[in-house]
Amino acid sequence: MDTVTRRKFLKLTTGAVAVGAAAPLLSIDEIAQAAIDRPLPAGTPILVVVTLYGGNDGLNTVVPYTDPLYYSSRPEISYKADQVLPLDAELALNPAMKGLKGLWDQKKVAIVRGVGYPDPDRSHFSSMAKWQTASPAKHINTGWLGRWIDTQSEDPMLAISLGSVLPPLLAGAKRSGSALPLGGLVIPKGALAAQCAQLSKVSKKDSKLMAAAATSMRNLFNVSGNVQPVLKAPAPVDPDLPTTNGGNAGGDSNLAQQLDVVSKLIAAGSPTKVWSVSLGGFDTHANEANAQAELLGVVSDSLTRFMGQLKSTTRSNDVTIMIYSEFGRRVVGNGSQGTDHGTSGPMFVIGNSVKGGFYGEQPSLKNLYKNDLAVTTDFRDVYATVIEKVLKSPVEPTLGKWSGRINFL
Amino acid sequence: MNAQRLETSRLLHRFGFGPRPGEFTQALQDGVAATRTRVLTVPAVDAGAATVVEPEITDLGPRPKPNTKEIVPFAIAMRYQSQQMVMWWLDRMAVSDHGLTEKMTWFWHGHWATSIQKLNYPLPMFKQNKTLRANCLGNFATMTKAMINDGALQFWLDGQDNTLKAPNENLGRELMELFTLGVGRYTEDDVKSISRALTGYQVARSSGEVTINEKRRDKNPVTLLGSTTAFTGDSLADFLVAREDSAQFVSERLWYRFISSTEEMPKSFTVKSAFASRDISAAVAAMAADNSIRDEKYALVKSPVEWFISACRALELTPSQLKTPAQLINYLDKLGQVPFSPPNVGGWPAGEAWLSSATAQYRIAFATWLIKQSDLQILKSMTPAQRVVKSADWLGVAEWSARTKVALRDAQKDPAQFALLALCSPEYIVSA
Repeated sequence: MDTVTRRKFLKLTTGAVAVGAAAPLLSIDEIAQAAIDRPLPAGTPILVVVTLYGGNDGLNTVVPYTDPLYYSSRPEISYKADQVLPLDAELALNPAMKGLKGLWDQKKVAIVRGVGYPDPDRSHFSSMAKWQTASPAKHINTGWLGRWIDTQSEDPMLAISLGSVLPPLLAGAKRSGSALPLGGLVIPKGALAAQCAQLSKVSKKDSKLMAAAATSMRNLFNVSGNVQPVLKAPAPVDPDLPTTNGGNAGGDSNLAQQLDVVSKLIAAGSPTKVWSVSLGGFDTHANEANAQAELLGVVSDSLTRFMGQLKSTTRSNDVTIMIYSEFGRRVVGNGSQGTDHGTSGPMFVIGNSVKGGFYGEQPSLKNLYKNDLAVTTDFRDVYATVIEKVLKSPVEPTLGKWSGRINFL
Repeated sequence: MNAQRLETSRLLHRFGFGPRPGEFTQALQDGVAATRTRVLTVPAVDAGAATVVEPEITDLGPRPKPNTKEIVPFAIAMRYQSQQMVMWWLDRMAVSDHGLTEKMTWFWHGHWATSIQKLNYPLPMFKQNKTLRANCLGNFATMTKAMINDGALQFWLDGQDNTLKAPNENLGRELMELFTLGVGRYTEDDVKSISRALTGYQVARSSGEVTINEKRRDKNPVTLLGSTTAFTGDSLADFLVAREDSAQFVSERLWYRFISSTEEMPKSFTVKSAFASRDISAAVAAMAADNSIRDEKYALVKSPVEWFISACRALELTPSQLKTPAQLINYLDKLGQVPFSPPNVGGWPAGEAWLSSATAQYRIAFATWLIKQSDLQILKSMTPAQRVVKSADWLGVAEWSARTKVALRDAQKDPAQFALLALCSPEYIVSA
């Protein structure tokens, strides 16, 4: 579901096509080798961007559980007040987000409310393009983090997206981030390994492509003694978790798997300042069996686990997580297809250095804008803050002159 | 490298999906000229293709509301039919006696790349596939007209949202950039004009049925590429396809997918002039006879579907009979290529994009899975000592390199391991 949704989105521009096709694919051992050769200097801030593809229903994520209009607008799909996890007298988290509630209680979670951009676009593709390019008015081919990559010195490890296809988010004009496909497959062993190694020798007579085919197989086996410990090591263990599968350990999911790889490589010192991970399936037109709650549970559990894993590393204070989706959904649950893509939604920023709490104004359910939630915060306010405070870079090369900031860091 | 083996190998792998056991040897005996003629001559009846039963793909109607009891059978039918459709096409590729029709349909699917991921209904995709097959070797103007009226393509590129009041440029832009002319061969004003000329199309999403809503249609003349006309869909297709840029563009695309995705198309490539009448079969015939088909420099990576189908043909496997179809689709997805789900409107990548260490890993796992389901009769019919030499003919490989021969010799007593190494060898992944 995850890759499908991401690919689905990658349809959007021919610019993204070109960039996506040319994105360097890294192997995990290359990154691990870089981690050993030139680890990220201690104390360097790290950004982890979590993209929720499909349009997450913000009203059922951060629930206005004391607002009668919430219940009257969507009687069939609203959560009862005694189910949700209250954050204050007005807002509560989805019942599936117990882990995030725990982090909120530790003041590590900033919730930015009503985030979006002017003239909301209800197409997944266009709206996600606006979020990822940070250019809502005009279509462009570079992502906001891609433009930041352009300002940095060249390093294929600088920004890494998990999965085999690079999101436009990390596509710059000059350079782009790298893609790290998730492995999880067994590398051949024994006699077969030796024979594969033999097959992967580049021959003088090979054409360029045949040599590349041979090399691709060689890379598979090219795990040196140095790198092996990093690869073979289990993901860092959360010291707070019980050794058996605890309540907040969560089931395995692709997001959890992606974050496991990220935490391993952060722990190993990968020279990477930006990580991009994602979860698809939020397009809950077909809300089969509470799909959204299940997905939010995955988000909450995997991020809680990730934060726990970071605790056992020296970098837990350096990591900031940012979560967004291309739009929220309509206030009124009418269930008919195609009409329930909405406008603004909440963003989450999580980390030990984050000043937990609410930011931005909660969109009113009474004063809707064209029957939809109003946008009360521009996503560029959040991006600009992240660029300055996390990536320690000037905003202008990435977002142009943008003055809005939010004080969550 | 032996010139006859190279050219024969390319004819069988590029203008079809590779040889079944014995076909390469036969082609060598027949000679290159006869093989070329056979590869290009589509028979009136294809007995192999005729054995593939057409799936029942129906109009599933509007999606039921969430959390109703109707949604469950709907979702099951949707998934089942979509899977059946993929299996049907893969089977046609694998068991057709003559490969060119499916190979060209596959090429055009990547050209007019439309994905079921946005449609979310199989029937429009099924109809589009038939349209592509019916026109795959026909006239390009006829094909373009059919595609402008194709519900899946219209919906995919927001044609149904393109109205007099609010023009949407998605389809118009891609029609010029990716389908008929090529990037940079028009201006932004042309994009605006063509989009106006394409207003008014309405698509019934579940069936793919296209109608024109006259009220939403901008009937005023527009100035497009220097000509001011009140276009219809048909006249627009004729106008675009007649341009010289269109012949240039189609020959570039054929070059990219059939000859080389890494080397530039030389001026001497004969396809553009052969395409003067916009007859696709003439362009393909010219390509199969062009000097480039004999030039060692122009290697081409088999895309995952091409690699998989050629392996099925070699191993005499039928895709839909593999256990299970869901697992098969999962393998293709891991390799990054599932029919009906191109990543974007630009189609799938080519060349080195398919040669990462991740794909090497998945390819080994995929091949292992396939080999387990084959009786490997052909390999077992050879003595171990013959296998290295004879397997090149079995798979239609022009020549094993010294490196690969060493690996194969080491595994020659174990048919399964031997087959795995052969299918994952650089010589088989790449069409030399």
